[in-house]
Amino acid sequence: MGAQENAVQVKKPWRLSLDSWAIVVALLAALLVRAGVFKHIPW
Amino acid sequence: MADVVVVPQVKPVQPALRFLRIIPGVLLLAAIGYAGKLLEQNVGAYAKAHHWVFPNIEYVLWAILLGLLISNTVGVPEIFRTGVATYEFWLKAGIVLLGSRFLLGDILKLGGVSLLLVAIEITGAIAFMTFLGRVFHLKPKLITLLAVGSAVCGVSAIIATKGAIDADDEDSSFSIAAILALGALALFTFPLIGHYLHLGDRAYGIWAGLAVDNTAEATAAGALYSDAAGKLAVLVKSTRNAMIGFVVLAYAIYWANQGQAKAVGNKAAFLWQKFPKFVLGFLLISVLATYQFFNKEQVGALANLSRWAFLLTFAGVGLRTNFRDMRKQGLRPFAVGAIGEVVIAVFTLGLVVGAEKLFGF
Repeated sequence: MGAQENAVQVKKPWRLSLDSWAIVVALLAALLVRAGVFKHIPW
Repeated sequence: MADVVVVPQVKPVQPALRFLRIIPGVLLLAAIGYAGKLLEQNVGAYAKAHHWVFPNIEYVLWAILLGLLISNTVGVPEIFRTGVATYEFWLKAGIVLLGSRFLLGDILKLGGVSLLLVAIEITGAIAFMTFLGRVFHLKPKLITLLAVGSAVCGVSAIIATKGAIDADDEDSSFSIAAILALGALALFTFPLIGHYLHLGDRAYGIWAGLAVDNTAEATAAGALYSDAAGKLAVLVKSTRNAMIGFVVLAYAIYWANQGQAKAVGNKAAFLWQKFPKFVLGFLLISVLATYQFFNKEQVGALANLSRWAFLLTFAGVGLRTNFRDMRKQGLRPFAVGAIGEVVIAVFTLGLVVGAEKLFGF
C-alpha cells in the first residue's frame, strides 16, 4: 500500500475569519445603536 | 495488513476558554488607550496652568508611546499576549464602523481618485523595490516580500504572499520586521513632515494612506494629524488593501512559472480568498448611512464607537513594537526597506500634490 493512500485529510473545523468577525461585531453594534439600545456613546 | 497512520490528537481549545484568554490583553489595551486619553486631557491642562511650553500631544501618540514603553522595558507578559494580538480585530471593526461617516458619493469620488493614485503607487513601489533589492543582492523571494509589503499593505500582504509563493519563514520574518520598524518611524515622521509642508487634511490623509504600509500605522499616522486626515488615510489605505489579491496573484503566477511555487488553480477563488472582507463591511455601513438608516445622533454614536476601537488598536501598535527584536533581523533588508520607503514617501507626496492641483480635492 502506497504512502499516499494512507494520507489522512484532516478537515479543519469551519471558522469565521478575523475580518468576518470584525464585520459581524461592528454590524451588531450598529444595529444596537439603531434600535436605541445604546443611545449615546461618549467620547 | 494495512499501514496504521497515527494522527496526533490535538486537543481543541474550547471557545469559552479562548474567550477567557483574550480578556487580560484586551483590558490592558483598554487601560493603555484610556490612560492615553486621560494624559491628553490632563497634561495639556497642567502645563497651561503652570505656564509651561508643552506641545499638545494627542491621545493617539500617548497610547502608542505608553505601549512602546511597556513593550521595550518590562515586555508584554505571556498572560496578556493573546488579548493584545486582538488589536487587529479592533482596527477592522473600527474601520467598518467608520463607514458610517462616509456617504457613498464621497467614497465614489475620493475612491476613484485614490484608486488611480493607488495603482500608480503600487506599480512604482514594486518596480523600485525590485530594482533596489537586486542592487543589494537580496534573495529573489525576499525582494518579492519586501516589494509587496511596501507597495500594498504591510504585514498581511507579506503573510498572504508568503503562502502563495512558498517563501521561507526567515525571509518573511525579515520583511515583516523591516516593514514594522519603518511603520513605527513613519508614525513619528509623517505628521512632522505634513505640518512642516503645511499640507491640508485631505492631502495629508491621502498621502498617509498611500505611503504608510501597515493599516494600523496608516490609521494612526492619519489620526495624529487630524480627525479628517485620519478618515481619508483609512479610505485610501482600504483601497490599497483591496488590491492585495491582484498583486499576490500576479506574483503567485510568476513564481509558479519559474517552477518555484504551486500553480494557481481557480483564480477567482484565489482573489476572493485574499480580498480583505472588512472593506465590504465598511461599504455596507456607508450604504446604510447614505440611505439614512441611521439618524444624526446615531452616526455620532457609531463614530465614537469607531474611535474607541481605534484607541485599543493604537495601544496594540505600541505594545507589539519591540525594537530589540527588530535589531536581530539584520541590516540589509532593513536598509532596502528604509531606502525604498523614503523614495516611495517622496514619490507619493509628489503624486498627492499633483493630484490636488489636478482634481482640486
